[in-house]
Amino acid sequence: MKTLVIIPVFNEEKTLRGVISGIRASLPQADILVVNDGSTDSTGNIAREEGVLILEHPYNMGIGATMQTGFLYALRNGYDIAIQVDGDGQHYPECLPPLMKPLLMGQSNLVIGSRYLLDGGFKSTLLRKLGIKFFTSLVWIFTGKRITDPTSGFRAMDRKGLELFSEEYPSDYPEVEALISANRRGLLFQEIPTMMRDRQGGTSSIGILSALYYMVKVTLSISIGFFRRVK
Amino acid sequence: MSVRLNLFAMIGSILLLLVILELIRRKYLRERYSLIWIVTGTLFLLLSIRVDLLHGISNFLGFSIPSNALFFFGILFLILIILGLSVITSRLAEKNKILTQEVVLLKKRVADLEKSNDIPKSNL
Repeated sequence: MKTLVIIPVFNEEKTLRGVISGIRASLPQADILVVNDGSTDSTGNIAREEGVLILEHPYNMGIGATMQTGFLYALRNGYDIAIQVDGDGQHYPECLPPLMKPLLMGQSNLVIGSRYLLDGGFKSTLLRKLGIKFFTSLVWIFTGKRITDPTSGFRAMDRKGLELFSEEYPSDYPEVEALISANRRGLLFQEIPTMMRDRQGGTSSIGILSALYYMVKVTLSISIGFFRRVK
Repeated sequence: MSVRLNLFAMIGSILLLLVILELIRRKYLRERYSLIWIVTGTLFLLLSIRVDLLHGISNFLGFSIPSNALFFFGILFLILIILGLSVITSRLAEKNKILTQEVVLLKKRVADLEKSNDIPKSNL
């Protein structure tokens, strides 16, 4: 199984090296691809020093477009599995093998690592919890599935997932919408419990205003998308 | 409407039309998007020459004064134009994204090929 770990990065110079060595330790057979979304710090140089595969956006295009560039690379270079790991160090590379397992067993096309399936696994602010609850309900309404951590960026997918997401993937805040479009195309997805820690460097891409925009945008996009014909 | 105002309106409309035509001539405006502007300019000119047309329309639709009808249709038109522009920008943004992703992938491919065939690095 050709496996590609995709790390979308934007100014992650503090944490990227650790993330890469963590992945190498827990998944030595996988290729690592850093997609640099127009970082203005030394992130790109670090990736080159580490000798991983690297794709560089000439300007900042957003997390969705960044992941999609990675999906396109994986699809066109014959990878069977692609895994997304954030560059800020909040995902534990030790969880990569369990994340892939449902794909290998053919149980799912898309696996999401959830920080909320483990009791006391992750401490959140009230606001974040409310936001997550909101998206969980939204996903439940549109797919009938209970996903406890729908905004998690810790995901693994097989070729079917790659084919879909390299074709359509929202440019910003893609995680929740991706679940709904996967469901509409008949892809199977599931969660597994993973540990997550607070980001080790950088700042969250989500403030309170953008959190609001996140919710409105995703709700609008999903509700209207519901009336779109499936290709 | 006074004769003077009428004259101003006519001159204004003619200027607008001339500017539009010049923009098309210099290819600053694509023919595809220019059509709506030519129609608009012509309509302005027509209304400034035949003010009675505006009165007629305004009376027919029940506006209390003709200028209200003018403002109403003017604003409606602007809203439609801006909506159209938003559609065009969205389409351009999507195409721009796809184009950039293709370039990024091609650059990587070129770099890989250069490395494996021992070709001097290009300055892409």
